[in-house]
Amino acid sequence: MIFRRSRHSDEISVMNRRSALERVVLTIVTILVVLFFMLPIFWLVTTSFKFGREAFAIPPRWLFFEFTLRNFQEVLATTKISQYLLNSIIVSTGATILSLALGVPAGYAIARSQSRILNSSAYFFLILLMVPPIAMLIPFYLIMRDLRLLGTYASLIILDTVFDAAFVVWMMRSYFADVPKEMEEAALVDGASRFAAFWRVALPLSIPGVVAAAIYVIIFSWNDFLFALMLTSPETKTIPLGILASFSAVEINWGKMAVMCLFAIIPALVIALFLNRYFVQGATMGATKG
Amino acid sequence: MVTTDHQISTQENRWLARVRRFRSREGAYWVMLAPLLVFVVAVAIYPLLFSFRISFFKYRLTDPNQVQTFVGVDNYLRALQDPTVLTALRVTLIYVAGTVIVELLLGLALALLLASEMRTTRFVRSFLLVPMALPPLVVGLVWKSLYNADFGVIPYYLKQMGVSVGRGPLAEPAWAMPAVILIDVWQWTPLLMIIFLAGLKSLPTEPYEAAYADGATRWSRFIHITLPLLKPTILVALLLRTMQSFKVFDTIYATTGGGPGSTTTVLNFHIYTVGMTFFDMGYAASLANVLLVIIAILSALYIMLLERQQL
Amino acid sequence: MYHKFCRLCHSIVIAILVLSIVGCAAPVAAPSAAPAAEAPAPIAAGLEVCQGQNLVLASMTDQYVAAFRALIPQFEEASGARLTLDELGYVDLYQKLIADFVGQTANYDLMTVDIVWSGEFGQNQYTLPLDDFMARDEAELQLDDILPVAWTLGEWQGAHVAYPLAGYANVLNYRKDVLEEAGIEPPATQEELLAAAQALTDPDAGFYGMALLGAKGPAVAQDYMVWVQQHGGRILDDEGKPALNTPENAEILKFFGELFNYAPPGSADYWWDQRETAFRSGNVAMMEGWSIARAGYENPEISSVVGKVDIAVAPVKAGLEPKFGFGGWGIGINADSTPQEQECAWQFIKWLTSPEIQKEWLRNDGAPIRRSTMTDPEIVAQYPWMPVLLESFEKGDGDYRPRIPQYSIIQDALGTHVNAFIVGQVTAEEALDAAQKQVEDNWQ
Repeated sequence: MIFRRSRHSDEISVMNRRSALERVVLTIVTILVVLFFMLPIFWLVTTSFKFGREAFAIPPRWLFFEFTLRNFQEVLATTKISQYLLNSIIVSTGATILSLALGVPAGYAIARSQSRILNSSAYFFLILLMVPPIAMLIPFYLIMRDLRLLGTYASLIILDTVFDAAFVVWMMRSYFADVPKEMEEAALVDGASRFAAFWRVALPLSIPGVVAAAIYVIIFSWNDFLFALMLTSPETKTIPLGILASFSAVEINWGKMAVMCLFAIIPALVIALFLNRYFVQGATMGATKG
Repeated sequence: MVTTDHQISTQENRWLARVRRFRSREGAYWVMLAPLLVFVVAVAIYPLLFSFRISFFKYRLTDPNQVQTFVGVDNYLRALQDPTVLTALRVTLIYVAGTVIVELLLGLALALLLASEMRTTRFVRSFLLVPMALPPLVVGLVWKSLYNADFGVIPYYLKQMGVSVGRGPLAEPAWAMPAVILIDVWQWTPLLMIIFLAGLKSLPTEPYEAAYADGATRWSRFIHITLPLLKPTILVALLLRTMQSFKVFDTIYATTGGGPGSTTTVLNFHIYTVGMTFFDMGYAASLANVLLVIIAILSALYIMLLERQQL
Repeated sequence: MYHKFCRLCHSIVIAILVLSIVGCAAPVAAPSAAPAAEAPAPIAAGLEVCQGQNLVLASMTDQYVAAFRALIPQFEEASGARLTLDELGYVDLYQKLIADFVGQTANYDLMTVDIVWSGEFGQNQYTLPLDDFMARDEAELQLDDILPVAWTLGEWQGAHVAYPLAGYANVLNYRKDVLEEAGIEPPATQEELLAAAQALTDPDAGFYGMALLGAKGPAVAQDYMVWVQQHGGRILDDEGKPALNTPENAEILKFFGELFNYAPPGSADYWWDQRETAFRSGNVAMMEGWSIARAGYENPEISSVVGKVDIAVAPVKAGLEPKFGFGGWGIGINADSTPQEQECAWQFIKWLTSPEIQKEWLRNDGAPIRRSTMTDPEIVAQYPWMPVLLESFEKGDGDYRPRIPQYSIIQDALGTHVNAFIVGQVTAEEALDAAQKQVEDNWQ
């Protein structure tokens, strides 16, 4: 649909039909681009293996430094990093399941319905995405207090899901709009209900879209910091809050910070490097159709 | 006995038929949407209404008696006269305009640069995806370290090149805003690249064939064919990034804390200070509503432009 | 072909990551290994109420957190309670505590309370006033041994909403080798300090006279207030109303700003950690700062200036009666915890602040509150700078930062506008006028 290869995609690409000089220039530009985007991450990874003052040696040591695992040992000895990771996994999983369960059928309904009200309800979810999180957070915090749910996984999952599900609807609506209706219609003629048509026909055809949406929800809820700051207890702290604890008034400790950050970016690395097909698809699902 | 049974079943049938007719039309869709609507209404609408209501009250979260005093539109009037808020609004607009424009241009350039389906470009593209998946907090912390005036990598190389870095990128009033914009550009340009790549690939081929036959230059093909055809994609990308850019928080929190002075205090960050440091809930809510209205108006403009495009 | 190649690359990257993480899962000793503790202290009476209790302590990641790490296992063994330590940075500690108090969730039973939070926590009844406990157990507490100024850690309107935990004095650290070589006496007044800073600064060599806190937010606000104190200025007027923009304060701010000319250029963005690192890496001659950091300069692992540092009382403006900035942390009990938890928490405080345990506390990077600890021959032998600290404590001023409920508003306003002055955006008068207006607008 989106990455359909056109016969004339050469027309678009600037890399083709170029003189040798142009090719060299473009290759250099490409290398610079890659350096710009990758060096900060490379810095983070190498810093996690530099202990103490080695981390801020001047001039910077990019490749040849004293390699050590002491930062990892310290983090494992003095923080509850495994607990933070477990909490992040629980929250991300919960938010993902809940927002898919709510958002995918809703997106399908909006995409297939002829009703004006239903169609334009998509904009309602778009507006929801515009709400500054802080505006939602404070009242939600007070409600959770009255329900005695502060500090539970549930409170964080529910608030994450509000924004995540709105995003899923917006994405899945445009995805389903691209899925041909013919097979569903054939199923309806055979006497299947609308639900069956969705569940048995449309959904299996849309697994890539659902995976793409899921990836985004995982990233959003894993990366969330503001909500977790207010809604978690010491037992349910997620990994971004753990990072903050690596700062102290005592000294700059970039090594320890880098280790915590490294744990926090594991899903990002896995998704960007292994699931990039879905990741790309997700970014464009909401975009090309409007 | 038989008759009644029959009657009941006819009635039942009629009812079922009606249900089926309804279901065959829109009912099923409503049912599919219902769980989410119920959830959103239960979870999100009340907080939003609360936030709207409390913006007309004076309410300090840390007050032991939790007193709420009605003050009418005082909070909004106060916002209009508050120099901090007006500065924050200006800073926000600069930040949003800066990030969105730079990312748009750079994203388009990257998409053109990396559009081919060669092995190497695909390999390169998969690495460029990493920044946008990272937690913004981590991104902020990494860049803060890179910018560090004494030990940071960036000032070190700038000094090597003979550039005076003064107090360091994050503490010089003239540099701080470009420095935080660069962080946003680093993280989000790849997203725009992906969107534009998809847009480029879905372009029809006929106009290019015609232009090719006419001997149009690459540049004029780009200006006269590619850009106009790409307009809807550009608008959607603008909408997406503008919405996100207005809500920036984590990276500011992790890098400048809004400084130096108020140079990078965006409105969303200021709301956080009012709400979570002064606990002045009514005022914070009114500021949040102002921000929401600004975002909504801008988004509505985009959407109207977009709908006109699609007609 | 491409796919295989690409996947291989990715697999290698991930494999390295995974291996590096798994590879260091072996347990290790805590970094700043405590000097071997002597025989555990005698169990204080009353610890048995802790049997089976489960407490959580929220602690700032200050130096003393290492002492908590070392001592808590001892307490658990002595009392049979479980005490979980939750370490938090300065800003998130405050936020998590407020969230806990307002939500009445009692996630934290014990918390470290910055001296400047006393008013807010007291006024809003967030922490339990300890006066009943103190009256009940007075016989065991040796209250007279705790220095008078230490009681400002957690006192609010006569009640003790936190108990003294770690007293910090603002002292002058200086490089004795550098000053000796330049033939400069350790400055005794602010005027001498400025002159010395000027004389010792050599930007071409990358060497500077002073290290200061300049970062927007709490850092620059608190450092500025130190200078206000040292120059005899005031933050509040006689009626307790904020008076930030007096002509005297503007003069002090100009003096403070002038010092930045002799500080590393990055100072305008320094938090505590960066200031400490600047001094320890040997690029700075002098630094006024909290005494608790002193021991760290002798630790070769984090310091390049081992054996080269000396300490003196902080200089005040010529002609002023010497008074020294005092700060630090109290330890409070959550008002929403159950009475049993509160009782056990109090037993922990009693145990931790007892003279025997205080010595252990100090040896593990804690900070003193008792005269007996500060004059203990063993402690003085190990930390020869104790007498300077004691002198600073004797003439300490714990109120130079107003410990009132509105403190965070003052700190935020000064944190923004003093920083704007330091980076040259506004004049001193404009900065303080803007700060005064912001405080008045938000005063509640």
